[in-house]
Amino acid sequence: MGCLHLFDLAVSPTLPEDAFREFLQGGVAGGDRLLAFFAEEPSPGSFLLHAVIGGSSPGRYAHGSARVSGQAFRTFTDVCPAAHWFEREIYDLFGIVPEGHPELNPLRFHEGWPKRFFPSRSPAAPEAEPRKGYRFLQVRGEGIHEVSVGPVHAGVIEPGHFRFSCAGETIQNLEIRLGYQHKGTEALLAGKPGARQLILSESISGDTAVGHSNACARLLESVLGRPADPSAETWRSVALELERIANHIGDLAGLSADIGYLFGSAHFAHLRGKALGLLLELTGNRYGRGLNRIGGIGPRVAGSGSAGILDRLRSLRDDAERTGTILLESPSVVVRMEGTGRLALPTAGTLGIVGVAGRASGRDIDARRDFPSPCFAEFPPTVVVQKEGDVLARARVRFEEMLASFRWLSLVLPTAGPAAGPAPAAAPHRRTLAVSVEEGWRGEIVHAAVLDGKGGIATYKVVDPSFHNWPGLSFAVRENVISDFPLCNKSFNLSYSGADL
Amino acid sequence: MLEAFTGRWRMGNTAFSLPPTGLPERYRGVPVLGEEFFSGEAAETCAQACPTGAVDPAAKTLDLGRCVFCGLCEEACEGKGIRFTPDPHLPFGTRGDLLLGRAAVAPAVAGKKLRSLLGRSLHLREVSAGGCNGCDLEAQAAGNPNFDFQRFGIDFVASPRHADGLLVTGPVSKNMKEGLLRTYEAVAEPRIVIAAGACAASGGIFRGSHAVEDGIGGVLPVDLYIPGCPPHPLSILYGIAAFFRRYPDRIAGGVSRR
Repeated sequence: MGCLHLFDLAVSPTLPEDAFREFLQGGVAGGDRLLAFFAEEPSPGSFLLHAVIGGSSPGRYAHGSARVSGQAFRTFTDVCPAAHWFEREIYDLFGIVPEGHPELNPLRFHEGWPKRFFPSRSPAAPEAEPRKGYRFLQVRGEGIHEVSVGPVHAGVIEPGHFRFSCAGETIQNLEIRLGYQHKGTEALLAGKPGARQLILSESISGDTAVGHSNACARLLESVLGRPADPSAETWRSVALELERIANHIGDLAGLSADIGYLFGSAHFAHLRGKALGLLLELTGNRYGRGLNRIGGIGPRVAGSGSAGILDRLRSLRDDAERTGTILLESPSVVVRMEGTGRLALPTAGTLGIVGVAGRASGRDIDARRDFPSPCFAEFPPTVVVQKEGDVLARARVRFEEMLASFRWLSLVLPTAGPAAGPAPAAAPHRRTLAVSVEEGWRGEIVHAAVLDGKGGIATYKVVDPSFHNWPGLSFAVRENVISDFPLCNKSFNLSYSGADL
Repeated sequence: MLEAFTGRWRMGNTAFSLPPTGLPERYRGVPVLGEEFFSGEAAETCAQACPTGAVDPAAKTLDLGRCVFCGLCEEACEGKGIRFTPDPHLPFGTRGDLLLGRAAVAPAVAGKKLRSLLGRSLHLREVSAGGCNGCDLEAQAAGNPNFDFQRFGIDFVASPRHADGLLVTGPVSKNMKEGLLRTYEAVAEPRIVIAAGACAASGGIFRGSHAVEDGIGGVLPVDLYIPGCPPHPLSILYGIAAFFRRYPDRIAGGVSRR
């Protein structure tokens, strides 16, 4: 299965740090992207780094691991800038230091925490150095002033802190400080695999319940040797596309609201409700919670196309297409979005931007095609790529992807039938790294777990697309006026909870 | 421009009628406890299936403050102990009012003074304190053209200084505790605190994590709890309106005037 890959850690070599650096550097140069990068502590005081890269060709995954000698390693951000936030996270959780890191600020823990609190580090390991405090980048120069926003924002959204350094109205630098939503999610996902993890995965980012639980379900199924049958997989992908449609419509509503285009905002808000209604009709929940069970789909899930769903889908499509066409052909809207918040392709590539934001900047990546789940292997998706990288391009990618998802659903839904139970398969009995990838509506979702070979999960790593993309927002708003920030932010629409975990 | 006008005309007023009709049968709303929950083994079976410890098999209760409406209990007991119905009118009130058992609980409602002050115009500041964004999206949706809680004089405002109270979601992450307290302090009295969702009531699925406070009750005085994971916009609308005794016997759809 393209969306799931197992690495036998008993045969996968542990590289010296230099070879690990070459592995990352060579992978990035060869067109691979960093799917996941995390640490584990197999025995007290001994730390392993794991990197999973892939995507340069369909279904390609590669794994490298390196043993950390002592309490520090030389940063890999210089050869693989996408590792930037991952290294900060490793430092926060384990207290091992990426030396030479360009911006080693805490990502997870704020001032109120004890300076030696490293939740993933075993108490038996030698004591780590105390964590350094957070330091904002100081921009100096004539007339430079700072604007501080958040954590509590004006809208009904999640908390995060934005520190702008401006010359007049123009943003010179935006520093994004997150962590407010940190809930210790990954620690809760480790342990004995079961239904609890699957339910928890629906709350990693509440707007991506289907995407995250699809990835989590396949991973848990590989641990337990209970893969879902193809018809259950079809329903997973159907729900994934409905989730994409609902969220893309919601984002078009948000973009309309942020430029004061009330026609679009009211219409799309109404249509988003209709799309969520379809998910509710199929799964019993507006966000698709309860869709997945280990080994298949829940008994409350339709399991066959409910009467008239294709008609309702077509009617929603017509409304959304009409409204979106009016929006994106309206000169006042286009002028407002064009050239705003531009993220150029080289920057997007270097930072490893994924999903909608990546494709809007010209990155031709989509996990549905690059790491296909069974249903997408049978019915390939349409990958929508734009070049300009501005707010308009991100809006267009959403609009076109939404239409493509409607087309895809009209092909696939008639073929979807009742799901059978799981077919038993062999479960790994040695130390194994399981990687599960799904293209959520925001972008690539990666779940990775180190299995201890005794049926338990030693370490669970979640990578929400937002984790890759937040630094991209900082670059996109440079040289824009500060009053355009809400629009730029909405055009990325990243998850705080998914990034903070 | 003309297309926008005709589109606007075609859309009309999309506000739902209340109480709502036509929610799909599959929707997991108000849970109903069956006789086997009290006399048979069903409570034990449900407790074992529950990922959040919402079922107390000894006391024979289901705590909606912990329930994430996943439906695992219903599947384990085959609906004999707990069965979810497509009714969005979830019980609300104090923390204790969320405990379902044999005896029916009359939900707490706002006192006369609070009702006269805020019952017809309630402006809330929303704070996500470690939520997953699920409850926040539903709170936001409660104000959209479909659910339209402005029909009851309820609205969200940008500043706590302009608010009559807070609607808080999430288990209160440790990193967000100070932000929540400072937002609360910025709201003028009299003020109310509404806790929406299982995380806000008990920590929900994140209960016991090193990084959360297991709910808002330990941080702020809460006036009204609304259960759900996330609560449906209709559950939020019902909880707030009924708390102020303003939930209508009937209101037609497509009407924004009261």
